[in-house]
Amino acid sequence: MSETSVWVIFIAAIFTNNILLTNFLGMCSFIACSGQIKTSLGLGTAVIFVMVMTTIINYAVYYGVLVPLGLGHLQFIVFIAVIAAFVQLVEMIVERFSPKLYFALGIFLPLITVNCAILGASLFMIIREYSFFQSVGFGLGAGIGWAVAIVLMAGLRQKMRYSHVPQCFQGVAIAMIVTGVLAMAFMGFAGMVSIQ
Amino acid sequence: MKWLLKVIEKVRPNFEEGGKLKAFHPVFGALEHFLFAPSAATIGAPHIRDPLDLKRFMSMVIISVVPCVFAAFYFFGLRFLAMIIVSYAAGLTVEALFSIVRKEDINEGFFVTGILWPLILPPTLPLWMVGLGVAFGVLIGKELFGGTGRNVFNPALVGRCFLALAYPKQMAASFLEPSHDVAGRLLSWVDGSTADAISSATPLVLAGRDEMVATSHMFLGSVSGSAGETSALLIILGGGFLLLTRVANWRTVAATIASFFALTAALIASDKIVYNSMPGVFGPAIWHVFAGGLLFGAFFMATDPVTSPTTNAAKWMYGIIIGAVTVLIRNFTGYTEGVTFAILLGNIIAPILDEIVISVRIRRLRSEG
Repeated sequence: MSETSVWVIFIAAIFTNNILLTNFLGMCSFIACSGQIKTSLGLGTAVIFVMVMTTIINYAVYYGVLVPLGLGHLQFIVFIAVIAAFVQLVEMIVERFSPKLYFALGIFLPLITVNCAILGASLFMIIREYSFFQSVGFGLGAGIGWAVAIVLMAGLRQKMRYSHVPQCFQGVAIAMIVTGVLAMAFMGFAGMVSIQ
Repeated sequence: MKWLLKVIEKVRPNFEEGGKLKAFHPVFGALEHFLFAPSAATIGAPHIRDPLDLKRFMSMVIISVVPCVFAAFYFFGLRFLAMIIVSYAAGLTVEALFSIVRKEDINEGFFVTGILWPLILPPTLPLWMVGLGVAFGVLIGKELFGGTGRNVFNPALVGRCFLALAYPKQMAASFLEPSHDVAGRLLSWVDGSTADAISSATPLVLAGRDEMVATSHMFLGSVSGSAGETSALLIILGGGFLLLTRVANWRTVAATIASFFALTAALIASDKIVYNSMPGVFGPAIWHVFAGGLLFGAFFMATDPVTSPTTNAAKWMYGIIIGAVTVLIRNFTGYTEGVTFAILLGNIIAPILDEIVISVRIRRLRSEG
């Protein structure tokens, strides 16, 4: 069991071990949905919520069901199923009780199902042997870190409408380069707090 | 100068439409415009009557760093000249290649980057690294976004960040103790092989070993550090000129230094300054302001009008963030110096800050009807 305090894990997950900028997880929706600040905020919020909830559920499923039955090797399949089921459930509940929010989130909620950062957070939790509260802190931090990264990216891409990018670099290519510079700048936090 | 003008006029047809060297027109244009006023007048609208065009804007910045350039020569020797030449050569090569391929004119913007770049580097850094870093910065930080005025990151900072991450050892080991003679090193060449390696640590590194450099030395600049950042006096002199001509915005500078000063003072008051491990000996907060690249960054790097926010309220926030992140990086991470990263992060956050300020204003206007 890891001894690091929940607070340190939370901060590290946002800055030094940002799930997007150091592990490069969840790149597809990061690149695809960072065109506008507003939509990126919506997606970021949804990711925070789903990431916290799925780490909690996956923690319970892994240590409550899989480990006692000796089925730890099934974690990948089970986690993916749990995430997909949870997102479906949330989608139905939101649609039933708050159609307004449902339409505001639109395509983003189903998109989260295939966001590898969500699965990544659950797997890191198991690999790093976090306790329950550490897992919650990590899930929340990783979600906020992902949201911060996509909102910053959306701001830069809005500003880049005035740029004159060479044709062969337009779109995904320049987005990858900007992501690289973002990651370089976040390297400045290296060593502040550390989780492996 | 007349013979030069004649030469230019003579070779001009070669670069015009139909000439043999048509492809190199941007290079020719840049040379001509750098030496003489362009012969063509603007044709398209808008016409603004303003004595301060982009080129003069850039000239102001170059004038304002002249004191720092001379300080770099004085303290670190003639090698600095080689650094400037390499910086211009490598950066202009990238810039010219892009201009030729994209059929645009070379922009004066690089003259500023090219002189700021050697000023933020350790004085005995290998020359190939000087060239590599500036080429990387101009390519990734500027040209891919369409050149001067269209970039979102400060090209010099992208280059320095790249060097700091790719060659951390050389970047940390290439500092040089400045000359303490009255004549300085104006006539000598000192590089990595001849430098006194023992006494080359910067004040911030020394502070980590409980050796405090005197505040007065740091004010005048006779300390180790990046080529242009050592003398607080000359930076304030040049930076003050930049503020008076309104090329740099005072809000950014004030917010950066004030937030850095306040947070450092707070850390000193609570005994939490980490880069000096001896309890009770921290130096006054002003010592920390003079240390490292904070002043140079605040005056010359953070104020870049392209990569800093446009609204005044956002400029305050931008400066506060840069100052705070610098304190954070200097005290709580593995790096002794964090200004480069802090300003780059500021560049990244700048569009969001503008967005916040503008959306708040729109909401207020709407509620007022």
